[in-house]
Amino acid sequence: MEKYISLAHGDGGELSHRLIRDVFIEAFGDGNAAMFDAASVAISASKIAVTTDSFVIKPIFFPEGSIGKLAVAGTVNDLAVSGAKPVYLTCGFVIEEGFPIADLRRIVTDMANEARKTGVKIVAGDTKVVERGCADGVYINTTGIGVYEANIGCSLEFEEGDAIIVSGTIGDHGIAVLAARGELGITVPITSDCASLNRMLEMVLQHTEGVRIMRDPTRGGLATTLVEIAEDFNLTMKINELDLPVKKEVHGVCDLLGFDPLYIANEGKAIIVVAANEKDKVIDLLREFPEGKDAVVIGSIIGKDKGQLLLETPLGSKRLLTRLSGTMFPRIC
Amino acid sequence: MCTAVRIAVRGRVQGVGFRPFVFQLAANYQLTGTVQNNMDGVKIHVEGAREAVHSFLSDLKNKAPRLSKINEILVEEAEPENKAEFTIIASERSGTSMLVIPIDSAVCEECLAEMNEPTDFRYQYPFINCTQCGPRYTIIEELPYDRPYTSLKSFPMCEDCRKEYEDPTNRRHHAQPIACPKCGPKVQLFDDDGHEIHSRIPIMDTIKLLKQGKIVAIKGLGGYHLCCDAANELAVTALRKRKKRPFRPLAIMAASLSTIEQLTELTNDERELLKSPESPIVILKKNNHYPLAESIAPGMNTIGVMLPYTPLHHLLFADPELSSLVMTSANPSGMPILYKDEEACHYLKGIADYYLVHNREILHPLDDSVVQINDGKLDFLRRSRGYVPDPFTTSKDVTGIVAFGGHQKTTFTIGRNEQIFVGPHIGDLENIETIDHYQHELAHLLKWIDTPKGLAVLDVHPGYHVQKLVQEYNFSEVMEVQHHHAHMAACIDEHQISGPAFGIILDGTGYGLDGNIWGFEIFHGDAAGFERLAHLHYTPLPGGEKCIREPWRNAAAMLISLHGERGLELAKAIFTDRVSEIDLLTKMMERNLNTVHAGTCGRLFDAVSAICGVTKVSSYDGEAAIQLAELADEAISFEPYPFALLEKELLTLDFRAMLQGIALDVLAGKDISKISGRFHETVVQAITSAMEKLSGKNPNAEKTIVLSGGSLHNRYLRKRITAELTKRNFKVFVPENIPCNDGGLSYGQLVVAAAKRSASQCVLEYQQKLF
Ligand SMILES: [Fe+3]
Ligand SMILES: [Mg+2]
Ligand SMILES: [Zn+2]
Ligand SMILES: [Zn+2]
Repeated sequence: MEKYISLAHGDGGELSHRLIRDVFIEAFGDGNAAMFDAASVAISASKIAVTTDSFVIKPIFFPEGSIGKLAVAGTVNDLAVSGAKPVYLTCGFVIEEGFPIADLRRIVTDMANEARKTGVKIVAGDTKVVERGCADGVYINTTGIGVYEANIGCSLEFEEGDAIIVSGTIGDHGIAVLAARGELGITVPITSDCASLNRMLEMVLQHTEGVRIMRDPTRGGLATTLVEIAEDFNLTMKINELDLPVKKEVHGVCDLLGFDPLYIANEGKAIIVVAANEKDKVIDLLREFPEGKDAVVIGSIIGKDKGQLLLETPLGSKRLLTRLSGTMFPRIC
Repeated sequence: MCTAVRIAVRGRVQGVGFRPFVFQLAANYQLTGTVQNNMDGVKIHVEGAREAVHSFLSDLKNKAPRLSKINEILVEEAEPENKAEFTIIASERSGTSMLVIPIDSAVCEECLAEMNEPTDFRYQYPFINCTQCGPRYTIIEELPYDRPYTSLKSFPMCEDCRKEYEDPTNRRHHAQPIACPKCGPKVQLFDDDGHEIHSRIPIMDTIKLLKQGKIVAIKGLGGYHLCCDAANELAVTALRKRKKRPFRPLAIMAASLSTIEQLTELTNDERELLKSPESPIVILKKNNHYPLAESIAPGMNTIGVMLPYTPLHHLLFADPELSSLVMTSANPSGMPILYKDEEACHYLKGIADYYLVHNREILHPLDDSVVQINDGKLDFLRRSRGYVPDPFTTSKDVTGIVAFGGHQKTTFTIGRNEQIFVGPHIGDLENIETIDHYQHELAHLLKWIDTPKGLAVLDVHPGYHVQKLVQEYNFSEVMEVQHHHAHMAACIDEHQISGPAFGIILDGTGYGLDGNIWGFEIFHGDAAGFERLAHLHYTPLPGGEKCIREPWRNAAAMLISLHGERGLELAKAIFTDRVSEIDLLTKMMERNLNTVHAGTCGRLFDAVSAICGVTKVSSYDGEAAIQLAELADEAISFEPYPFALLEKELLTLDFRAMLQGIALDVLAGKDISKISGRFHETVVQAITSAMEKLSGKNPNAEKTIVLSGGSLHNRYLRKRITAELTKRNFKVFVPENIPCNDGGLSYGQLVVAAAKRSASQCVLEYQQKLF
């Protein structure tokens, strides 16, 4: 087989056929998807969740992850935090001419492995090849379908005093990827937290009551996601700077570059808002999973009349936090 | 021979005992006539002997009540009306509305004399006051200003006080906060566990504690202060440590003018300011034998000093051995001044050893105002207690305009009719405590001033918190104003400059219309609009705000971006302990990672300060620039470094050669004071040449210039730029009554909005005429 993707791999002819057979079906195992225009799958649920996400990342391979793993975990997590059990995935590839087929194989294998781990099936796919220079390596889109189980989910009914929990250290993914680009010449022993959280979150939902909402703080970081929750539900949320789980190395890099870990991307973390009396139980459940071993309460809901996120500083004052906005323009003189 | 005149007095002449004063004056000179408040001020008609009328007129100006402020006296000949007596007649509701919100003022001489008189029933009473002095804005709950709507409402007047209050000839006639030891507020002293130290004279005990080196939180007029003996180095160091405020200068309160003369070189203007009813903190030059703790204002040639302004403060100086106290507003870092008793106790735990409190509630906190005499003119660093909310008058109708100000040192400004009310100093809108404080004060003033919610004005910076806050107020329209245009417009309006002018704005950080950070600008325009003519060469700020907190980063970035490899070498040679970080900064800049671009005076000063080793990491805002400025003696004109003006799309100030010169001088171990002086002079010369060039290109433009922006507090810059431009026949105006820093931003925003609004109304009217 050829070593590199050519335009002919995307023309729908013989080469396309071989690529699908030798790379995708080989990894995903099930021939059905490639044989029909659409996959027919059986679902027994009165309500399903559908989500879609496109993955564009540089570098494509990074410590403890790749665009493939990310493309599965990211969509799985979107379903999981909405309280659905992920069951099916589709994927679409946009590949740049000249992309190494070995790399593609690696990506697809990562996807297959992650799908197997999470118990989700990849049932349909598509590839397109674009001319050299029209894309940067490979882009992947995944669409996920999840099912809701009766009587399990997030209530969206918030109360003052509800606890805000994060399932682990923040900023790992963003910093790991930044370092992996190699442009800055920084080497840090940080790996991406990229992981599927569905099994862990399912456990939390099944064994506790009083979960109000779950979200995965990806792009924009913890702060942006919390601001969105606060504004969407008109809640005053307070988090405590001293309680934020941040790895020393992440802190160090942020300090050097003028970043704030609160705004750095995560790919394997969940925020859970839960009734105060259930918070310890949730923490205990999370900590049984490797991806939740650093779970911790970081704050609480302190009011229900204004949608705002506050960060209590060690000096005792409460900083008002906003969404990440393009470039962070200095406000101070 | 009988003459009659009609007099119109404008200014702060209502609610300050002006009519009784006029009445008394007329009686003194046996004149007849009337006096009347109207919406524009006070209207007087007097008639009588020519000589007597003359004397009346001169006294009217020279002996006016202490709290009045006369802007204008218009005198016209009138027909004699042959009145039999002089009368105060009911107010007339015509003219432009003159809303009066009373202002706090320092205790007056008469009250002080009484307080020090052992036979007086208010002997040593810390809350003595009269119609010409005492608390006002800080204790008012609702307007009109009347005792039941102040914090004195819970103190029913005793017989003695009532008698004075009701007697029209008494100087406490209708003094709303009137009080005495029998009926009024009291002081109490507590330890840090909240146990009261029972004592007959808590203030005397406080003095003893202060002399022992203790730190006492003292509740004053507008909030709590933290106090300690200013001559006790250990006490001052302890205060700094506990307050986590390592270097920022602390203000002091000194017993008397003669005490201040022992510390500083005092000019007449400064003396007048110190003892004015506003009683601000005045920045003064330390003298050669300055005897106080060095840690009060480390590295500074100046010190902020005020005189006691409440009777309570005066009593604190009863012991001649304690003649100056550190008096710094008690606020945890980044939070507004503390004024509620419970909050003070909560937040000052671990900071104050004792609390001297009183039970006259503070309803509206006010920080002390801070001013300096800069190049012979008033220069407000902070306009608050004693000045707020005394309105400015303008020539336009500004009704319905509310300007929300900036982000740091912020204020808001409200317009009504031809009055502009600038609110109190609020602080930095980073924390919710400060934002709540902002909204609380804004709500009150909006209610009192009662202007419709027409036009809200904001800075163009997308990240300022007020951008979001404004949504809570339901204004019918929102307008954004560029930061430095607001600075420029404030100065234009203050000096009533009609027609376009040049604006030289030297500032810290402002969001520019091209998405870069501006702050070293030459504009041409007026309040309604501007054209940008020149600016400082942009350089990258890798890491954004981090570069502002750590000026060495900005310095390294500037050297590298302006001088490439050579700059990198210089940066590494200067910041020897930062070599690997400098490599990282270089890569960030190459990739534009978390990097914004800025051309601002503040950042230029920061960079030079860091290169000189003066301030590499800043502990308070402006530290690097302030410390560098302290080294430049404004009495000398230094020799400038080389610089260039580049004719690009805009005239661009290029300080590459200067920066290299500075770096080499620093590495050669040359005298830092001289380097700082030469740097200052380079900025002056670059601005002067740029102005000559621009003025040459626009020969028809008036040679009028306004200077503004936070860097204009710099004594060297203000003095030398003014001098050089004046020498070249420019007419130069500087901010005097409105801060040139961001405390004055809201005023400028309002002025711009008013000008744009009336411009668009003109267009509208014109269009309506056409169709
Ligand atoms: Fe400014
Ligand atoms: Mg997603
Ligand atoms: Zn008085
Ligand atoms: Zn009394």
